[in-house]
Amino acid sequence: MAKQIITLTVNGDEHELAVAPYQTLLEVLRDELDLIGTKRGCTAGSCGVCTVNGEQGEAVLSCCTLAVDWNGRSVTTVEGVQEGTELHPIQKKFLEHGAVQCGFCTPGLVMSAKALLDVNTSPTERDINEAMAGAICRCTGHIKVKIAIREAAKALREREGAG
Amino acid sequence: MQLPEFEYIRPKSLAEGLQALAEHGPDAQIMSGGSDLLINMKFRLDTPKYLVSFNDVAELKAMETLPDGGMQIGAGCTLTQLAGSGELEDKYPALHDAVFSVGSKHVRNAATIGGNICLDTRCWYTNQSEHWRETRDGCFKTDTEECHVIKTAAKCHAINSSDSAPALMVLGATVVLASAKGERELPIVEFYNDDGVDHTVMQPGEFLARVLIPPPTGRSIYAKLAQRDGLDFASGTFAAGIVGSNESPESVCLVMGSVGPAPKVLDKSIEIIMGQGLNDDTIEAAALAARASLGEVTNLFTPSGYKRRLVKALVKDALNELRDKEA
Repeated sequence: MAKQIITLTVNGDEHELAVAPYQTLLEVLRDELDLIGTKRGCTAGSCGVCTVNGEQGEAVLSCCTLAVDWNGRSVTTVEGVQEGTELHPIQKKFLEHGAVQCGFCTPGLVMSAKALLDVNTSPTERDINEAMAGAICRCTGHIKVKIAIREAAKALREREGAG
Repeated sequence: MQLPEFEYIRPKSLAEGLQALAEHGPDAQIMSGGSDLLINMKFRLDTPKYLVSFNDVAELKAMETLPDGGMQIGAGCTLTQLAGSGELEDKYPALHDAVFSVGSKHVRNAATIGGNICLDTRCWYTNQSEHWRETRDGCFKTDTEECHVIKTAAKCHAINSSDSAPALMVLGATVVLASAKGERELPIVEFYNDDGVDHTVMQPGEFLARVLIPPPTGRSIYAKLAQRDGLDFASGTFAAGIVGSNESPESVCLVMGSVGPAPKVLDKSIEIIMGQGLNDDTIEAAALAARASLGEVTNLFTPSGYKRRLVKALVKDALNELRDKEA
């Protein structure tokens, strides 16, 4: 099957890649670009561990997205979240509040949370539940994750206020 | 799971896409968000030779207010776009709540209204991995004339899980099917077949291009029960619309979804409320009639007894809420 040359910007870096139409964005990120922070879970859109952020910062399930559809567009993966040498407030708060157990779902949770907090730094409980419903943790649970997100929102608000 | 091989066609215009569909007929499959189709393809339930995506066609991504106050929604509008529309929420709460209830935010970001209307039917026997299916016999949905869920069935009973369908039916929506030969418009109540394999009237070469909703005339509501609020397909859905007062309604439409291959218009329940209005007694009677209309069989993960109880509760609660919405 003929491969197609696409231009894909990942975390600000532009890549020219030859991909087959049936390759998903997840496969290209992990297998071609070695960005293995984005996890391969159910590969059927149910678990959210493959979540990356699209051009508007929206949550994208990379396992259910064709890489060729992303030609000329940009994505952010968990490798692109930290700010210089500093972790992003979401990452910091996940660490601080122990919102991680085995860590496999963490990249997906962080990217799902970032999709929310990038557009809304004062989320209600309902907003958080809605944004995180598609990202599942099967070991530590969601209580600490939600605490971390609320705290990260607070940190982001303080930063906005200071700026 | 990896996708099977296919050839990808991404037309720049609607006309170009319709031409591709005409050319490849049944070998072509239409993809919009891919949130359901790509998964079915990974499960090898769908292995199209050609995949045609209309994602580059801008006109399909527009929502417009029509001069008469109704709305036209392009098939490519995402469910996030619909759920975020204040106009849709004000005018058609049933549709707004229906699309908002689909999957997760992640899924709604990709899924489109056209894709949700055309959503393939699902069955707990067939919607499994290829390996799971290999160890068992085929069925109507794959390759044999047999149903393993309902042994005596003469047809496929896979369930239509479209959340938007019951709501659009209650709102009196029509759909426009485009093909290289032209367009046809039909009421969405005529769009579904009561057969899990051939579940819509759409022919090869046709594409659901847009949905038209008449101006709002009354109150509407949507209710859904699923194992979890996020992600799961419904165990049962119910949409209701009423024009006029509770005491003497001018028109009533009640539709059950996710209990069979097509959304079910509850004629008997409608008759009860049209005849005697919306009150405690008629709500109870309408809920019982809805339950009775389901028959004994089920294709849900749960026993038919559960489905019958679920439907009664769903209809009763939603009609009570609809009654209280009277201005």
